[in-house]
Amino acid sequence: METFDVVVIGAGPGGYPAAIRAAQLGASVAIVEKEFHGGTCLNWGCIPTKAMIAAADLYHHIKHAGQFGIEVKGVSVNFAGLVAHKNKVVQQLRGGIGSLLTGNGVKQFAGTASFVDRNTIEVAGQRIGAKKVIISTGSTSVMPGFLPKSPKIVESRKFLELEKLPATLIVMGGGYIGCELACMAAQLGVKVTIVELLDDVLLLLDADVRREVRMHMEKNLGITIRTGKPLEKAEAEAAEMVLVAVGRKPVTDGLKLEAAGVKTNEKGFVPVDDFGRTNVANIYAIGDVTGRTQLAHYATSQGIIAAENAVGQKPSKHESLVPGVIFTSPEVALVGLTEDEAKKQGREIITGKFRLGGLGRAIAVAETGGFVKWIADAKTDQLLGAAVVGAHATELIAEAALAIRSELTASELGRTVHAHPTFAESWMEAAHAVHGTCVHAPPKRKK
Amino acid sequence: MPNPIIMPKFGQMTEESSIVEWKKKEGDKVAKGDVLFTVETDKSVMEAESFFEGTLLKILVQPGVNVPVSSTVGWVGTAGEALPAVEAPKPAAPKPSAVAQPAAPAPVVATPTVTTNVPAPRPVAVAAPVCAPKLFRISPRAAAFAKHAVVDPMPIRGTGPEGRIVEKDVKDYLAAKGYDKLRISPAAKNLAAKENVCLLSVQPSEAGRISVADVERALAERPKPMSKMRQVIGQRLTQSIVTQPHFFVTVSVDMTDLIALRAKLKEQGAPYTVTDFISQAVVLTLQEFPEVNSTTDGKSIRWNSRVHLGVAVSLEQGLVVPVIRGADELTLAEINAASKALAEKARAGKLAPNEMSGSTFTISNMGMLNVENFTAIINTGEAAILAVSSTLPQPVVRDGKVVVRQIMKMTLSSDHRIVDGAMAAKFINAIKAKLEDSELWKRLTS
Repeated sequence: METFDVVVIGAGPGGYPAAIRAAQLGASVAIVEKEFHGGTCLNWGCIPTKAMIAAADLYHHIKHAGQFGIEVKGVSVNFAGLVAHKNKVVQQLRGGIGSLLTGNGVKQFAGTASFVDRNTIEVAGQRIGAKKVIISTGSTSVMPGFLPKSPKIVESRKFLELEKLPATLIVMGGGYIGCELACMAAQLGVKVTIVELLDDVLLLLDADVRREVRMHMEKNLGITIRTGKPLEKAEAEAAEMVLVAVGRKPVTDGLKLEAAGVKTNEKGFVPVDDFGRTNVANIYAIGDVTGRTQLAHYATSQGIIAAENAVGQKPSKHESLVPGVIFTSPEVALVGLTEDEAKKQGREIITGKFRLGGLGRAIAVAETGGFVKWIADAKTDQLLGAAVVGAHATELIAEAALAIRSELTASELGRTVHAHPTFAESWMEAAHAVHGTCVHAPPKRKK
Repeated sequence: MPNPIIMPKFGQMTEESSIVEWKKKEGDKVAKGDVLFTVETDKSVMEAESFFEGTLLKILVQPGVNVPVSSTVGWVGTAGEALPAVEAPKPAAPKPSAVAQPAAPAPVVATPTVTTNVPAPRPVAVAAPVCAPKLFRISPRAAAFAKHAVVDPMPIRGTGPEGRIVEKDVKDYLAAKGYDKLRISPAAKNLAAKENVCLLSVQPSEAGRISVADVERALAERPKPMSKMRQVIGQRLTQSIVTQPHFFVTVSVDMTDLIALRAKLKEQGAPYTVTDFISQAVVLTLQEFPEVNSTTDGKSIRWNSRVHLGVAVSLEQGLVVPVIRGADELTLAEINAASKALAEKARAGKLAPNEMSGSTFTISNMGMLNVENFTAIINTGEAAILAVSSTLPQPVVRDGKVVVRQIMKMTLSSDHRIVDGAMAAKFINAIKAKLEDSELWKRLTS
């Protein structure tokens, strides 16, 4: 039996960086994957959706090119071509991961891993020994039991494999996955209805951000949003197609966690501490399967830290500041505290907002919708959180994350020179707005 | 020029004191001899009078903060007069107490402290030259510089006239302390400035950079006055452990039968808790041992004819000991009702002073806290205290065989001035015998 210093189970965005980091630090490493390198993110999540959303966006832009004096006639979408683009992107990245793993000397096993004991793993009838194990098996879509099994009731993975879009679509669940796919479908001409059980869609966002996104989705994309009521079974059966996006559950089937003594919680997730450790001394877990923030980049950060901890480096904790990006139309991104969270914590905060409509660049490129917002500590001026809705939001959030992690204050950020004309200037303007000294916005009336 | 109000030194040994109450507000007119504030010293509360006439311009030290004697606690002068740039004296660091903190939260009687005005000599000449503190002098420019750097200028040696700190002194000081090498996050600096944390006193953690978390840690470490309740707990326990020679006797009680009985009673709807049974057993035993149910001031001893049973109750802020009065005349059901009512009142913070004093014996029960054994400190003046630990399954020998029984350890702390070893042993074994006598409980609960 071949024994490795570290065996990583699952080659998603958490698993493969963990394997590579462990190998970089001199450990002998194996990685087990039952389907494709890259996991949900690369194959059925982040990447393919972005390839398709890019196409949908481009189509949308072309249709609205008239405002720039560009006349386009006879534009139409060849969905098969769009899917081919998506598949090519996925193929390329999958191959990239394979060569990175090989290049770093990580031995790859194909098949479903199951624990024999805490130091032994079985893959496709073959046993491998593991001094340390990193579980990164990810998550999969939850399908509510009342929905009939039918090819027209799909979750995100099936939806991305469609060869043809329906004319109408009900999206069940107004979380970020549901809203992203709803926007994409709507841009490609599908008549979309979102059905959300809770009081609003995208509830992780502050009300002002939500309002902005919702307004665009309803007004510009013609999406119908219904909240506060569940989707009835009859509605689902009558629909041309239902996309189910109501949450994700951990993947631990066949893993035989009990053979290693790894505990799971009542929802089946593998709980870990801030160092990525499970209740079993030599077993770590990262990513969606831990039930923490279910985002690829958080899994990557967790994976790298877990790998460092597993090979015996001085233990360090997971990062706690994790930006979130949502590729709706318009895009949304946030990092750090929201106003709601700050209120819940009883923190005294001040906010500064700047609408993109006040930016020269935004007006020039006709992308004036949305705003950026800083949330700062009222006492110390420390930047605690940021949100942005509008064009390039998902790129803009990086500056905010860096500023918050560096514990910058609003006045420091405001003093930082930002290049003109750019969208990024909005951060500087909003930082000034925290103190009511924004140059490119009308003064607030004194109370 | 305004005159400093100095924290007087009331006793030879007094090094620090705290103000109990300001009798004047900022802006009040003050005449010579007016009482400005009262001071809590080790033993008593004293009044501090004004030596000056004018207006109370500024209160620097709030009540409850311990500061070294001779510190400036405020200023008297002409209304509107500018004050010298002097910061409030730093609270004195709490000194390690002579007696180590008891490992177990032992009970205390939280009677309100009685502050007596001991007729001590009035502070005649506190401002006499010998006691006069060196005034803290700093140039406005130097003060602004220190403030900008978020550094406490108090320890800086002044080289200006009359020891005045000038800007160069601050700069030299910062250079000597390696201030230039500090890396500080902007938010951390703002927080430190806001909360008056000297950046030189903050230990950086993340890669040598002072972060908000580091400043928050320094803030959390800053000495703050103990709550009155904790102070009373401290005083009473220290008095007990120092003046009452403690010794300890431990027994194991087999609770198996009693627990089974209680479970049966509970099914039938009876409300008894294990603590009730222990209280009842103790009350019955105390009536057989008047020596143990006694109180002393060290010179005389009083054999109490009634049993007033103190039962320690743990609260978030500390401990209180509500007292079940006349427990010797109560039935088990009445003991249950009385303790329930008192415990509820205690948790709601609504115990009256007379419900927290006058006990003749005290029980401290940590049964629900999963401890094998502990010792308690005697409630000052009483002869003994019973520490009750958790009931845990243990292997024991019965009829030559090892069996598993529910065992509870009890430790009696006794004041050796009143109770000798043999007496303590007899007393605690009498309690044990009662707890293990299931016939007794069947009789008491039927």
